[in-house]
Amino acid sequence: MNINELLKKKSWLGWVLFLITVVAVFFLGLLASSIIERRSEAVFAYAPQITFPPNEPDNSKWGEIFPREYNSYLKTSDTSFRSRYNGSASIDMLETNPEMVILWAGYSFSKDYRQGRGHYYSVTDIRQTLRTGTPVNDVPSPAPNTCWTCKSSNVPGIIEEEGAAGFYRGTWEKRGKQIINPIGCADCHDSKTMNLRISRQALLEAYKAAGKDIGKVSFQEMRSLVCAQCHVEYYFNKNIVEGVDYLVFPWKNGLTAEDIERYYDELRFTDWTHALSRAPMLKAQHPDYEVYMTGTHASRGVSCADCHMPFISEGGQKFTDHHIQSPLNNVANSCQVCHREETERLVNDVYLRQDKIMESRKILEGLLVKCHFEAKAAWDKGAKEDQMKEILNDIRRAQWRWDFATAGHGNSFHSPLETLRLITSGISIASEARLKLSKVLVSLGYTGEVKVPDISEKAKAQRLIGLDIEKLTEEKSEFLKKVVPVWNKSEAN
Amino acid sequence: MSSFIKFLPSGPWRLPVIVLSGIFSGIVIFSVYVSEAFSYLGDKPQTCVNCHIMAPQYATWFHSSHREKTNCNDCHVPHNNVFSKYFFKAKDGLRHATVFTLRKEPQVIFIKEAGSRVVQNNCIRCHSELIKDSRLSVYSAELWRIRTERNCRDCHRETPHGRVNSLSSVPDARVPLPPSPVPEWLKAMINN
Repeated sequence: MNINELLKKKSWLGWVLFLITVVAVFFLGLLASSIIERRSEAVFAYAPQITFPPNEPDNSKWGEIFPREYNSYLKTSDTSFRSRYNGSASIDMLETNPEMVILWAGYSFSKDYRQGRGHYYSVTDIRQTLRTGTPVNDVPSPAPNTCWTCKSSNVPGIIEEEGAAGFYRGTWEKRGKQIINPIGCADCHDSKTMNLRISRQALLEAYKAAGKDIGKVSFQEMRSLVCAQCHVEYYFNKNIVEGVDYLVFPWKNGLTAEDIERYYDELRFTDWTHALSRAPMLKAQHPDYEVYMTGTHASRGVSCADCHMPFISEGGQKFTDHHIQSPLNNVANSCQVCHREETERLVNDVYLRQDKIMESRKILEGLLVKCHFEAKAAWDKGAKEDQMKEILNDIRRAQWRWDFATAGHGNSFHSPLETLRLITSGISIASEARLKLSKVLVSLGYTGEVKVPDISEKAKAQRLIGLDIEKLTEEKSEFLKKVVPVWNKSEAN
Repeated sequence: MSSFIKFLPSGPWRLPVIVLSGIFSGIVIFSVYVSEAFSYLGDKPQTCVNCHIMAPQYATWFHSSHREKTNCNDCHVPHNNVFSKYFFKAKDGLRHATVFTLRKEPQVIFIKEAGSRVVQNNCIRCHSELIKDSRLSVYSAELWRIRTERNCRDCHRETPHGRVNSLSSVPDARVPLPPSPVPEWLKAMINN
């Protein structure tokens, strides 16, 4: 029988069919909306619930989305780790090496030089150092604003608004109120994609100057280059923009100490004239990246983050440890990922290299101290400019090598061969200089030995070069009491 | 077509019935579209994250060396013949779809016995040289048990998904989750 005929006979059957269809469509609709619901879940499940502007300087805001990374970052405030030579605590390096006061005589590093604490303290530490002076009552700081460049996550935003030169312009206290947050998220991360990014112009410009394209580096290289925004040798060039201490990485000729020295020689650049020897000196900053790149780990493709920010696991989630620190405090997650040795053995391997290099470094340090005093003696006995010129250049070159080896935080581990090579070539140049100095002294009628005064303590050495540290410290504490609270308050409002 | 027309009632009922069955078919087609049902016939790994709870599995595979040579189906469906492949895929897929729709997924997803056998056979399918190499042959009383009763994965536990795969294990992973089903041109029209 045809269904149409059936329906004509029994009209209730029509209603049944109608209701069945209604129920079917109803449930089909439910299924469709369930599919849509679960699809849109996907959008929310993996998207942050809060947003912030691209250069958000407040690290805690990023921390709301990435609590694990942020909480591990906060651990950079820990100062309890001490290795044989460095660690996370503030160490007065002039106290442990009073010779440095003599080597830097006439330069602000002879006033105060400390082992930096973790990133968490970057702003606090630069405010406290005597090198930034005491800008109270309209007295300007001896440092330019450029010195803030590597200290704060406030910097990328200001540079974007005012340009790099605009940011560098003026003396250090001018931006005191703007720069509050320590080094953090925005310095290395793009806020939208969380990709690593280069936020500091100097590195971008250095790549450009060397004819390289930073857009083409691999992710693994980026895991070192974000560090190389700051952990590098740099200088301030006054000739790029008028009245501005423009931050430049001297990488045009290459990354070795000799390449960089050639760059400075071509520019006739000097950081300062030495107070004792009158040598035209260079100050190495912290050529961590440059020296690291000459080492075995770098040539095997290991990045900074592999050891200083290893992967860790927490609650079944694997992520990058943002507690940036000495791997010696975290051997299990850094060294032992590749090296299957006991912690103690690995740490001793590092100390062995550091000890040997320190041994040679101390020899060079002693020679350089003698160089400065002997050159001073020669001047005092009436030496002429042209007699001294070559010697002073030798002192510049020898101390540059010493500083390049010493100023890098982990040089003796990152690249022990290169570090020792620098020190030995420094020893050779310094010895040459002393030989020439003795000839000059003899020609001036002096055949005795030039005595090096007692510099066994920081205070003695500083008094010797005429620094009144008590006064400077007192002024600094006034600045910290009067000015810094105002800076902090302005940010809170 | 003519048989469909024959099925339709004559007279004044014809038009409403055409419209109503159009609505019914439309919802069916919409469901197929919004669930990307046809993608399940292919082998793209993106298909497997149509259900977002598979994101950890996708992310861990994507960060493993297996990404270079395999997709999900290479390991998770049988490859002895095409019927077996699609039968297993349909069976497993329908179970997954049901669990997902009913929100019955566990916090940590473990492979089932049938799936585990399929994976083991697929390990052998590609890596047969590892168990055939005569230099590695050892004859001992234990041989049969060692060669046949254990899975590759019993030792290679991290290959390729790692050890822990809870739904929340990779909160920041970038996974190609299905984009909005609304086409771009329509979005543009609505926004204007």
